[in-house]
Amino acid sequence: MRKSLLAITLCLAATSALAAGEHGGSHATAPDAEVDRTIQVEAGDMWFDPETLGITAGETVRFKVVNTGNLKHEFVIGDAAAQEAHREMMQAMGDSGHGDGHDGHGGHDMAEGAHGGEMPAVTIAPGDTAELVWTAPADVESLVYACNIPGHSESGMVGEIQLGK
Amino acid sequence: MARSSVITQPLSRRRLLKGGAALGIGSAAALGLRPAWADPWGQTNVYAKGVEEGPEVALAIRRESLEIDGQAARPYTINGESPGPMIRLKEGQDAVLRVTNLLDEPTSIHWHGLILPPDQDGVPGVSFAGIAPGETFTYRFPVRQNGTYWYHSHSGLQEQLGHAGPLIIDAAEREPFRYDREHVLLLTDWTFEDPMAVFRNLKTAEGYYNFQERTIGDFFADVREKGFAATAEMRGMWAKMRMSSRDIADVTGSTYTYLLNGHSPEENWTALFKAGERIRLRVINGSAMSYFDVRIPGLKMTVVAADGQPVQPVPVDEFRIGVAETYDVLVAPEDDTAYTIFAESMDRSGYARATLAPREGMAAEIPERRRIADRGMEAMGAHGMDHSSMSDSDMEGMDHSNMSGDDREGMDHSEMDHGGSMARESAKTRGNGMLAAGEAQPGSRYDQAGIGIDPNARRTLVYRDLKAFTPWPDRREPGRELELHLTGNMERYMWSFDGKTFSEVTGPIHFEKDERLRLILVNDTMMEHPIHLHGMWMELENGQGELIPRKHTLNIKPGERVSALITADAEGSWAFHCHLLYHMDAGMFRVVKVA
Repeated sequence: MRKSLLAITLCLAATSALAAGEHGGSHATAPDAEVDRTIQVEAGDMWFDPETLGITAGETVRFKVVNTGNLKHEFVIGDAAAQEAHREMMQAMGDSGHGDGHDGHGGHDMAEGAHGGEMPAVTIAPGDTAELVWTAPADVESLVYACNIPGHSESGMVGEIQLGK
Repeated sequence: MARSSVITQPLSRRRLLKGGAALGIGSAAALGLRPAWADPWGQTNVYAKGVEEGPEVALAIRRESLEIDGQAARPYTINGESPGPMIRLKEGQDAVLRVTNLLDEPTSIHWHGLILPPDQDGVPGVSFAGIAPGETFTYRFPVRQNGTYWYHSHSGLQEQLGHAGPLIIDAAEREPFRYDREHVLLLTDWTFEDPMAVFRNLKTAEGYYNFQERTIGDFFADVREKGFAATAEMRGMWAKMRMSSRDIADVTGSTYTYLLNGHSPEENWTALFKAGERIRLRVINGSAMSYFDVRIPGLKMTVVAADGQPVQPVPVDEFRIGVAETYDVLVAPEDDTAYTIFAESMDRSGYARATLAPREGMAAEIPERRRIADRGMEAMGAHGMDHSSMSDSDMEGMDHSNMSGDDREGMDHSEMDHGGSMARESAKTRGNGMLAAGEAQPGSRYDQAGIGIDPNARRTLVYRDLKAFTPWPDRREPGRELELHLTGNMERYMWSFDGKTFSEVTGPIHFEKDERLRLILVNDTMMEHPIHLHGMWMELENGQGELIPRKHTLNIKPGERVSALITADAEGSWAFHCHLLYHMDAGMFRVVKVA
């Protein structure tokens, strides 16, 4: 179930719509020709390395997200408001099974973005690597990447993407 | 505001004369000389009473005149401050802490929550002889942990009068959270009375400080709500136990002024921030007797550590902090405005307050205090028991009114027929009949914050939320179970374990060196008790399996049954007690001997 969700997410995320990833694998999710560059991001407990990214508008980037922490993490790209909405949703889902906020959040990868679309997202188990191919939009100056599992972005798993022309 | 300007000028003659080393970065920031804006690792701090940086620290203990809440008082001071300065150590250091007693009575300092050799633990009569007047005792121990802790006197009732302070240990490795700035928030309960007089009042007139008894007006309100028979029956039950359903706390705001970093709500101590920063608040309950419910209206708090130990982050609106517990929370105010840090006493008789603000002199609205709660029937020895089926004969077992003066069993309910409450067995029982490590005991209420908290009003931290990042090193199942009952005789103000006060027991509790055991604490009383074990961690079996959190102090709610796993690796004698100061003094204290 999770694998298929992830694959769907990646499809939506990749502009080429050719993406098909496998959870935890390091298979290519888009033909190399379509990707301008690959950015490696480390997801630890509770941080991303690097903490800021500079990406050119229109650039297609393959994110290789390595989870070196002990907990499951996600890597979601969106504007700050959409990220906040996603966090609130996940917190509400977690609270329905009181105190189990870290496990009760199936299907959240399809987070609603601010402009009606879905935010590109991957979820990465501890020790795994996941890939996400994404093309930077031209109409915004900056975006946020975050892990919205309850408490994670609040603890520091949040970074800024500066979108240069 | 005139008042708050007084407290933001800490560079007084007193400080220069007596606390030279206490001229920390915090005081400079408060003066506006050098804004202590954070470095990337958030190593700045602001604490109102100065900082003593380790590894070598000298502390002088005095009793002197000092204003508290604008009134003349004679607290115990540490380097001229009350409560004392923050001690800052680093993981991996060898700490050398010289404590000089300038009192005319013996004193001591206990390093609460630190794992250290038994002769450095600072409990007179257990770890050492105490520090005599005029004497200097040098504590030496390797610092092998990090996080938010505190220190306090373990002599008599000195702790009640400000003989305490924060103890912060910086981590050797990266912590599982990031922040830009930190503040220490030390909660205490100050009384202008002599603590011995407070204790006498408690002994001679139970409920002395309890002005919130149910009244005839409440009676008619209850009759309207519940009908006459139910109301009369309820009152009768409480009367039989010689208790009031409003005994939430023994000592209340009628004598206490609740302080935050030594400042009263009116003085409004201010913690500075810049909008957009992530701030770590290190909250310490250094009170003698008071539990607090802490919230910052308008801000979500993310709990990242409990009792100095990192936990998986839990975003909450409010948390209850028992006496001697510590919680680290992160907040991220995005607006350039003031927020009230509101710490309401559990019995609702008062509050401590400070302000989180971008500039000095700001204030935000103070929330309305909640009404005092009634102890529900769950408090009546609810070891997972269904009260609706409680018969009159069950209640007879709880009738304390006919106990004789020589009845050493006190309120020990262990003889009570629990009517099959233990039948609710968990599926995770092992072959020997014991629960698997990490499982919650029947009778625990880890998903409840406790009395006076409406779980629907806001998201409140509960013990069930606390979850470690990785399992603690000792993964063994417990080899045995040790069950202790928390007992008391409210009327005579006697508090004890298993019905015996400390003066009545003949020897220590034995832990076998290196054994793994399960300590089960059953609260037979009607009050919360924060139980503290010195020298070893208690891994709270809150149902999180191998990710159970470890703590130095466990809050046991009335009627609750709580368990913890202990690795008895610390040879020697250790104190084990209720951290409500007057309960400890009244006899709720034991020595644990690991041999």
